[in-house]
Amino acid sequence: MAFILRRLVFYCVAIFVAISFNFVLPRLMPGDPVAAMFAAAGGKMPPETIAAYKEMLGFVDAPLWQQYLQYLQSVVTFDLGPSIMLFPTPVTEVLSNTLPWTVFLAGIATILSILIGCFIGLYASYNRGGFVDRFMPVFWQFIASMPQAVTALMIFFIFALTLSWFPLGFGFDPDLEPGLRPGFLANVAYHAVLPLVTLMLSMIATWVFTMRNAMVNVLGEDYIAMAKAKGLSSRRIMSHYAARNAILPVVTAVSMALGFAVAGQVFIETVFNYPGIGQLIIKAVAARDYPLMQACFLLIVICVLVANFIADILYVWLDPRLRK
Amino acid sequence: MTRLLSLLGGIAGFYRGNTAGIVGSTLVALILAMCLAAPALTGYDPDKRVARGHQPPSAEHVMGTTRAGKDIWSQALYGGRVSLMVAFAAATVTSIIALAVGVSSGYFGGRTDEIMMAVTNVMLVFPQLPLLIILAAFLGNVGPFIIALILGLTSWPWGARVMRSQTLAIRKKEFITAAEIMGEAKWRIIVIEIMPNLISLAAGMFVGTALYAIGAQAGLEFLGLGDPTVTSWGTMLYWAQSSAAFFVGAWWDFIVPGTFIALVGGGLALINISIDQISNPKLKTGSYLRTWRKLNAEVEAKRQEA
Repeated sequence: MAFILRRLVFYCVAIFVAISFNFVLPRLMPGDPVAAMFAAAGGKMPPETIAAYKEMLGFVDAPLWQQYLQYLQSVVTFDLGPSIMLFPTPVTEVLSNTLPWTVFLAGIATILSILIGCFIGLYASYNRGGFVDRFMPVFWQFIASMPQAVTALMIFFIFALTLSWFPLGFGFDPDLEPGLRPGFLANVAYHAVLPLVTLMLSMIATWVFTMRNAMVNVLGEDYIAMAKAKGLSSRRIMSHYAARNAILPVVTAVSMALGFAVAGQVFIETVFNYPGIGQLIIKAVAARDYPLMQACFLLIVICVLVANFIADILYVWLDPRLRK
Repeated sequence: MTRLLSLLGGIAGFYRGNTAGIVGSTLVALILAMCLAAPALTGYDPDKRVARGHQPPSAEHVMGTTRAGKDIWSQALYGGRVSLMVAFAAATVTSIIALAVGVSSGYFGGRTDEIMMAVTNVMLVFPQLPLLIILAAFLGNVGPFIIALILGLTSWPWGARVMRSQTLAIRKKEFITAAEIMGEAKWRIIVIEIMPNLISLAAGMFVGTALYAIGAQAGLEFLGLGDPTVTSWGTMLYWAQSSAAFFVGAWWDFIVPGTFIALVGGGLALINISIDQISNPKLKTGSYLRTWRKLNAEVEAKRQEA
């Protein structure tokens, strides 16, 4: 319990640092961001909006600490003001439209790549020095080392543009009415295939390595030798003795992987024109929509921290030694 | 002289039976050499219009031209200089910070360690790419130098943790205690006694960061956050994207910089894998395992002779 509490305090500090970072950054930059926003909107911003922005970003005529408190308040109450790019839609509404797509992609890709990667890793350690063990880890590492922007472009070019097997973009067909119907869900799945595959290609290597290395370490333990001496079948040793203990490092790696998946979608969503938060942050940057940009950043940080926290809880649940 | 020989011997030993290491190093060295010898390999200026736009590969322009009529082969070579320089500069900055933070945190311990590790852990939990995007967006079209700097300044936390745990392990060894009892200065213990033992880890970290920096730089520039007037592999992708090269069928505009990035990335990854397997013999795979056993047998035979 103390472990969980300590982690919770740590995550609160991290969120606090992220908010402060958002507060400090516009103040470190030369010039006035509100003036920049005004210019970016083509001077078509009513004076009330400008005042609202100043207030939201904490640029009021007050001492710095008061500005900071004001900014904290606007973040905590989710009152992030309207977006410039999609004026006058509130930033929070824009975010709530895009977040589900990103979480959907990141979640499915993480689960599938854990299953595939761990299976390959397990098989490689089971047949140590065999074909799979010699070539698969290196092969996947080679694939994963290609920058996601490049992999995404190549896959887009081959499967979407040249072969036309998959659509060129969007989360679903714009003609379709969204709803929980099989036809619509199938359409969503069809549009998600290429982004998912690209994301998985860059993630599988981690699991192959994590699982294989954890297995190799566990297989050297005395209780494995004991199990062998008892004459248990190697399948039973693998599944009941080794894999159970080797799964712990895999769980710790989940948190980092989820963060990687959410953050890494920036390129994939941009290339495949997918309506998630990664594409949104890039659009916001291009439109100089600072409030939306900062809100995206904060939301991604919070997603990653929540994923980390879930991994911590799972870890405690799986490893009784931490439950003191 | 003997030092140099032992260094060469060490390098030769690293590559012995290490197929992944040989292939990876050759790839990276070859591309590096090609970029450095750019003036000898192409007669075109990478930043000048030399032909009609989006010409397919031909005898004159071996890899075609961009929409603006610039020679892609020449751009890839000269741009590679920028991309590789950013990667190595970022990796150098990261390695120095990670070594300094990790070693001092691990060696001094106590309060210093607590504060340094708190900062490191908070930085580690932040997703790096969005952080880079926000920084680059506020700084406005960032040039290669700034990209190298922000990549270097944000990617050290993981390396610092690794360095710290290794330092903690070394600190307990007898030779450190001996040096302390002999009254050696603290900086001397850190630089002369501890750091040489971290070299293989630091090398792995350097290669890993360079690999990450190649991708991150290309990514940032591809997204339009870099300075589009500087030619590099990332800005080549950016111009290809913004001139809709795929949709008009000019695939070479993307494929050439993409392939260069992929080859360097793959090469660095192969080097990294081989460093990993050497610094942790437990993790050896097939062919390494065989080489390792052979080397062990040789050492054993020599010992019996003596």
